[in-house]
Amino acid sequence: MTMRKVAVIGAGMTKFVRRAQETPKELSWLATRMALESCELTLDDIEAVCMGTAPDSFDGIHMKGEYLSDGAGAWRKPYMRSYVGGGTGVFVPIQGWYHVASGMFDVVLVVAEEKMSNFYPHAQAAFLTIFDHTTERPLGPNLLWIFALEMNRYMTTYGISKEDIARVSVQHKRNAANHPCALLGDPDITVEDVLNSEVLAYPVQRYDVSPVSDGAVAIVLAAEHVAKRLTDKPVWVEGVGWNLDTAHWTNRDLVYPRYVEYAARMAYDMAGIKEPKKEIHIAEPYDPFDYKALHHLEGLQLAERGQAPQLYIDGTAARDGNMPVCPSGGLLGVGNPIAAAGLMKIAELFWQLRGEAGDRQVPGQPRRGIAQAWGDLMQVGTVVIMGR
Amino acid sequence: MTLLERDPKSPLTWSGNLPVTSRYTFGLAGEKFFRAIKDEGKIIGSYCKKCDHTYVPASQFCEKCLAEVSDWVDVGTIGELHTFTVLYEGYDGARLVQPEIVAFISLGDGGLIHRLGEINLDEIYFGMPLEAVFLPEGQRQGSILDIRYFKPAG
Repeated sequence: MTMRKVAVIGAGMTKFVRRAQETPKELSWLATRMALESCELTLDDIEAVCMGTAPDSFDGIHMKGEYLSDGAGAWRKPYMRSYVGGGTGVFVPIQGWYHVASGMFDVVLVVAEEKMSNFYPHAQAAFLTIFDHTTERPLGPNLLWIFALEMNRYMTTYGISKEDIARVSVQHKRNAANHPCALLGDPDITVEDVLNSEVLAYPVQRYDVSPVSDGAVAIVLAAEHVAKRLTDKPVWVEGVGWNLDTAHWTNRDLVYPRYVEYAARMAYDMAGIKEPKKEIHIAEPYDPFDYKALHHLEGLQLAERGQAPQLYIDGTAARDGNMPVCPSGGLLGVGNPIAAAGLMKIAELFWQLRGEAGDRQVPGQPRRGIAQAWGDLMQVGTVVIMGR
Repeated sequence: MTLLERDPKSPLTWSGNLPVTSRYTFGLAGEKFFRAIKDEGKIIGSYCKKCDHTYVPASQFCEKCLAEVSDWVDVGTIGELHTFTVLYEGYDGARLVQPEIVAFISLGDGGLIHRLGEINLDEIYFGMPLEAVFLPEGQRQGSILDIRYFKPAG
C-alpha cells in the first residue's frame, strides 16, 4: 500500500471555558479561522473538511455534524463527521490523515468542537443515554460511576495510593497555568488540595476529574508537496492507530487498556518505532481523570504495568523531565470539551515540535510526540504519532 | 463549589428540550434473560462452545466469532465483587442524603452492574460473594430492577 506523507501545517483553538457565549458553530468558526490564519490559507485552499464532535446531546442538536458544518468551513465541500465518543478528538485527525494519505485530497481541514454547557442542569446526565436501555439504564448509571469502578480496580490491583494518583492532577493543572486557553490552570495547587476535594463517587474526588467545558480546535493537514511549499516547519503524521474493545464493559479488563496497546502498536509499527520509551519525547495521553493518564501511559507502552505513577514521582513526566507528559496541561488543566480536548493534544504536539509553545515549551528541541484519546463505552483507543 | 454553580456574569441562555421518548424491545436474548428474572428469579447467561465464553447478561451472539449462541445456562444468583464505587452526588450535582454503593458483580464470564444493600462499607472486599435479592414473584415485571440489589452471600 502506498501512502503519501501528511503534515500538520496549521492549528488554532478557542479558549476552553465553562459556558461560552458563542454557539457551537461559532466556536467551530473561531477555531477554523485561527487554524487557516496560522498557515496563511483561505477557505478556497481547503479541499475537504473532517469534523469531530461527541454526543449530540451535549450541543442539544441531533445530527450536529450537519449543524456545525458551516462553522467548520464545509460549505460546498466534501464533508464528513466522525464520532468515537471521547476518542473522537484523536480519531478525526486520523480521518483527515487518510483523506490526504490516500491521494484523494491535498489540503484538508480538521475541526473538533464541543459545547457541553448546553446540557442542563449538568452534562453528566447526558451520559445516561449511552448505556444499554434494558440492562443498565434503569439503574441510572453515569460516567463517574464507571470511572470510579475502573479507578478502584486499577488502584487496588497494584496497590497505588490516592496520593500518587493526585500527583497527576497537580502536575497537569500546574502545566495548564501556562496555557492561554486553559480553564483550570493553577500554579499553586497541591496534592492536599486534590485529596481534600469533595468525594463524588469513591475513589473519584472533584479534582481527580476534568471540568465540563466549551471549546473548539482546528488543524490543517497537507500532502508533502504542498506542505513543503507552505511552511519550513511541517510536523509529520508519522503513525496512526485505533482499536476497539468489547461493548460489554463488565467483561473488560479494567486494570489494563488492551485496546490502547493495540492502537499504539499499530501507530508504532507505522512510525517504525521499536522502543517507545526512548523514541517518544513528549506524551499527551488522554487524561479526563488523573488515573486515566497513568492507565493510558501503560497502554501506550511508556510505563510498565502499575508503574506509571513512578514517572510523576521521579520527575520523568515533568515539563523539563525526560519524557514530559501533558505539557499542555491536559484535560485536567486546559479543560475537557470532549472532541476538542483530544484535538487540543494534536495541536499541542504541533506547537511543541515547532518550538512555538511559548511558556509551555518543552526544552531540548523534542523531535517526536504521541497523542492519545479514549472513549466510546470505555472501549476505544485512538493514537497519533507526530514528528519533525 | 457544587456542580450547580451560578455565575452572575455568565451569558444569557434560552431553555428548550428535545421531546423524544423511546419504547425499547428486550431483543432476542433479552426476552429470555428478563423472563428468567421475572418468572423464575434466575440469572441466565449464554455459552459459546467454540470460544468457551459465557455471556452475562445473555447475548444472542458471540462477539468473538459472531456465531449464534444457543446454549442457555443458569449462572446462579451469587457472583463475585469485581470492583465498586460509592456515590455521593446525583445527576443534578446535589449531594445524596444517603450515599449509594454500586458494584460490578462477576457472573459467568461477564456480570451485572447493580446496587449493593444490607452491607457496611468496611466489610467490602474484592472477590466477596454477593447474592441477588429479587422482588417477590408477583411484583416482578421483567426489569433489571426486579433485582433490588445484591447483598453479601451466605
